[in-house]
Amino acid sequence: MGLITETNAQYYSGQQVFTSLNAVVDPTFACTFNTSVVSAYNNLGVQTSSASNYTVYLDGIAQAENLSFISDSLNNIITLTGTYTAASVYVELKSNAVGANYGSYSYISLKDIVNNFIVGYVGIDKIIPRVKKSDVLFHAKRGLQEFSYDTLKSIKSQELTIPTSLSVPIPQDYVNYVRLSWIDDSGAQHIIYPVNNLTNSPYTLPLQDSQGIPTQNEFGGNNLAEQSLTEQRWNTANDSNISGSGANDNMYVFDYAWWKLNYGQRYGLEPQTSQSNGWFQLNERLGTFTFSSNLVDKLIVLEYISDGLAYDVDTKIPKLAEDAMYAHIAYSIIASRTNVQEFQVARFKKDRSAKLRNAKIRLSNIKLGEISQVMRGKSKWIKH
Amino acid sequence: MVLSPPFFLKNIKMAINVNTVYTTVLTVLNKEQRGYLTPDEFNKVGAQAQLEIFEDFFEQYNQYVRMPKTDVEFASRMDKMKDEFQIFEKNSAASAVTGNVYTLPTDLHRFGSAFYERAIGAPEIEIVSKREYHQQILSPLLQPSINNPIAIYQQNKLTVYPATSNPATADIGFNYIRKPLDPVWAYGVGNLGQYVWDGTPGFSLTPVIPSTGSVNFEISEMQQTELILKILQYAGVIIRDQAIIQAASSQLNQDTQNEKS
Repeated sequence: MGLITETNAQYYSGQQVFTSLNAVVDPTFACTFNTSVVSAYNNLGVQTSSASNYTVYLDGIAQAENLSFISDSLNNIITLTGTYTAASVYVELKSNAVGANYGSYSYISLKDIVNNFIVGYVGIDKIIPRVKKSDVLFHAKRGLQEFSYDTLKSIKSQELTIPTSLSVPIPQDYVNYVRLSWIDDSGAQHIIYPVNNLTNSPYTLPLQDSQGIPTQNEFGGNNLAEQSLTEQRWNTANDSNISGSGANDNMYVFDYAWWKLNYGQRYGLEPQTSQSNGWFQLNERLGTFTFSSNLVDKLIVLEYISDGLAYDVDTKIPKLAEDAMYAHIAYSIIASRTNVQEFQVARFKKDRSAKLRNAKIRLSNIKLGEISQVMRGKSKWIKH
Repeated sequence: MVLSPPFFLKNIKMAINVNTVYTTVLTVLNKEQRGYLTPDEFNKVGAQAQLEIFEDFFEQYNQYVRMPKTDVEFASRMDKMKDEFQIFEKNSAASAVTGNVYTLPTDLHRFGSAFYERAIGAPEIEIVSKREYHQQILSPLLQPSINNPIAIYQQNKLTVYPATSNPATADIGFNYIRKPLDPVWAYGVGNLGQYVWDGTPGFSLTPVIPSTGSVNFEISEMQQTELILKILQYAGVIIRDQAIIQAASSQLNQDTQNEKS
């Protein structure tokens, strides 16, 4: 049996046809999509979410969303309330649900990984004779987290506009950033760099007395300032003074007035700061990304990594890393057991390492043809 | 009483005919006028002997699992042992449910595994102790879910997590071993006061004692010799004949040694 369970119509069009109805009361439709059907309405016709992800068509006419609900979410069964007679009956997923399913064949779910591992690696006469499923699940999830950071293609992104406050909240499933860039009018991206040592966002803002001692409130806690002066100054700073991108007239460089004593004081440029794309920093106190003032109202794209476990739909693994995941689970179980000979642990460790390296190479998506093309641009002669 | 065909056909390949065993035991006992075992005594002793052999299956199975195994057909002791008890293996739903607490099937003797039938693919439920449950729910990675359900097994009940809405007994499927039925050698009393087995061709005596009729031994025919020897062992105790006990015991020990060597 092949691994594909959907028909071509289900995959490409998101459509599943059902048998005709002849005065059927409250007909049910057991959908076999890979996608879970979601209704915006419950069985009482009360709206519980923004929109359904499917539409029921009877004789080509779309039925109102409030007429159907999910009567069995585990088995993907839709119930249409009322009595119906129709020759043509089909359920069609909405375009965003169809799109989300495209390409799903390149992934395997965490549930399947755990079940496959137990069947293939655990049992009598195998290296792991017995294991608790929760142990396998734990190591599988930890593996997914670790793989997400540097091996898997799990980069997420958000398109945002920088408000006048110059800060946007950290995404809910954020673990670390990959890249921030602003988008110009032609859609091209320009990388925004971290502030590094240029400025900082202090974590606490104690108010001090004239002696410099932090003052306390009536409950014994420190009095804290509402706003950071460092951040205020950074937000109102002229970036040109750092990047050196100001106009000649304002730089006091070519102005021959006698009091312009800093003539000739600017010795070259610091490449790290000589850029006009702006800066960002992570403000841990407020849980935000903050940006330099030249980025206000700019459209940005925030690319970041998550750990793959934030949402149910996340818990899937590229098939190119499937074997690495089995090796990781096997090694983790063997390594955490007592009375396992060290050579066995070492064997599994090597196996894991080799398979993880393989997975990284596969997922880095290196194509010889593309490399050749890049090298042609460098005027390099590649024999191929 | 005329026995219906299903009675005779029931487990016909595996079961041991109760009359064969009883008559064999009587033949051995009556040799040299050693004594007599009444049907009532036989039924009680037979049930005990069958249960002993039945319980021993699992001990032997455990030993064979830990021994080097062969994949050669008919030579695998482990497969042989599985053959012995597969007839008692059953799958049933829970017998009752209250909230997320499911009562085990009424004929469950040895618990094997339980499955969460409401989830796609009916994943196996991991049985944990109360202590493990509390440890597990504190771990964000190991929260019970429909794909990874867990249960606490106490008081012949499974408390299953996650709990489902509208629980039903069919939510949980059990794989288990049931207890073998007690053998019964049922009879009618003939004109001469003799006991006549109710399975004898042409049997028409009334009343049949017990009225439920005869029930064969459920364990396989491969165990017939051991079964008879065990019954003889008990019979020796009943009729207070040391020679019978010793003869049966020594034969049983010999068989056990052969099986485990």
